[in-house]
Amino acid sequence: MKQNTYLLLIALLILGISCTSSEDCTEDRIAKLGVGFYTRALTDTTKQIYATRAINLDTLSVRGLAANGTLLDSILYKSKTIQKVYLPLNKFENSSKFVLAFKTGKDTIEVLHTNTDYYLSLECGCMKVHAIDTVLTTTNVVDSVKIINHKVNATNAEHVQIFIN
Amino acid sequence: MQSMYKYLLISLLCCFVASSIQAQDKQDKKPEVKTPNVKWWDGMTLQVDAASIASSTLLSKDVYSVEAGAQINLKNKYLPVVELGYASVNKTSLEDIRFKTNGFFGRVGMDFNLVKKKKDGKLSPNLFLMGLRVGMTNSTYTINNMVIANDYWGGNQTLPESKLTPTKIWFELVFGIHVKVVDNIYMGWSLRNKHLLTTDKVGDISPWYIPGYGKNASSNWGFSYTIGYKF
Repeated sequence: MKQNTYLLLIALLILGISCTSSEDCTEDRIAKLGVGFYTRALTDTTKQIYATRAINLDTLSVRGLAANGTLLDSILYKSKTIQKVYLPLNKFENSSKFVLAFKTGKDTIEVLHTNTDYYLSLECGCMKVHAIDTVLTTTNVVDSVKIINHKVNATNAEHVQIFIN
Repeated sequence: MQSMYKYLLISLLCCFVASSIQAQDKQDKKPEVKTPNVKWWDGMTLQVDAASIASSTLLSKDVYSVEAGAQINLKNKYLPVVELGYASVNKTSLEDIRFKTNGFFGRVGMDFNLVKKKKDGKLSPNLFLMGLRVGMTNSTYTINNMVIANDYWGGNQTLPESKLTPTKIWFELVFGIHVKVVDNIYMGWSLRNKHLLTTDKVGDISPWYIPGYGKNASSNWGFSYTIGYKF
């Protein structure tokens, strides 16, 4: 009988340990487009070799541009000395536009992308991940753009490089 | 030098012969061990899992699970087992995502009794078991009310209800004991280390709970407390 009491106690202890779990979502659920700012400097004039160098911008503010052409109220970034920004893409449209206001002028970049549902868990639900197709830009301050990583998910990776004149 | 080697060799031989004679003496003096009468068929135990019932009624209001099994005892060493059960889950997450499932599950496997026979030749009625199970379920799962918010750009999207009926297969490493309480009544517990063989593709909608397996993860722990009657 004593033996059985011990068995029951061990059973209840293990049952208690196995039933403790967290129900909060601890995962990052927003996939953001990582954009880095660079400049190109000619290092060899005879062979036309350029060196890419990351730069810190003096002043930058970033706002989303809705499909109807109105600027969104919320400013994503307003900062001095910034080298990289992370921008939320539109989860329900295949195009996201952003207005980048530099110290010397403004440019608009348009990111064309596809959106896919990505299930995380019952606690966290579903998020959208994106695949970048094309990036278009005006060229007032920006010289060119380059896609270096097409898949946009919850990791803080760099996806697009913007080259400044 | 040579004589020293000879001396060593003779000494070793003497030791070997002496120890052999001593061992022979011990063997001669050993009491005769009775060989127990081990039956090929040593009965069948029908058992229910009290842990799943207790957990369903006392601890969890989301998961209801019952299971029972039949285990036969062959030569008091090999114990093939069949377990059948039913689970019903109605879970709502903190973000109001609703998951439902109900379905039957089954497991087949074998336990091995590690209790050695006693010196007097009697077999112990208690069993110390290690074994393996293979489990399967083909339950239907529904997940609904999943909302994706477009925080910066504005707007929300509620995803349509997902209804899935995947076949889930897993195996369990089982460790436990069975103790004879009175006459033919046995009680025991087992700890189970479960491993899912049919996993979901990352990013695809998957069940929160799998009947018979527990919470959906690549590996899981389970516990059972059985009460059984031996025929």
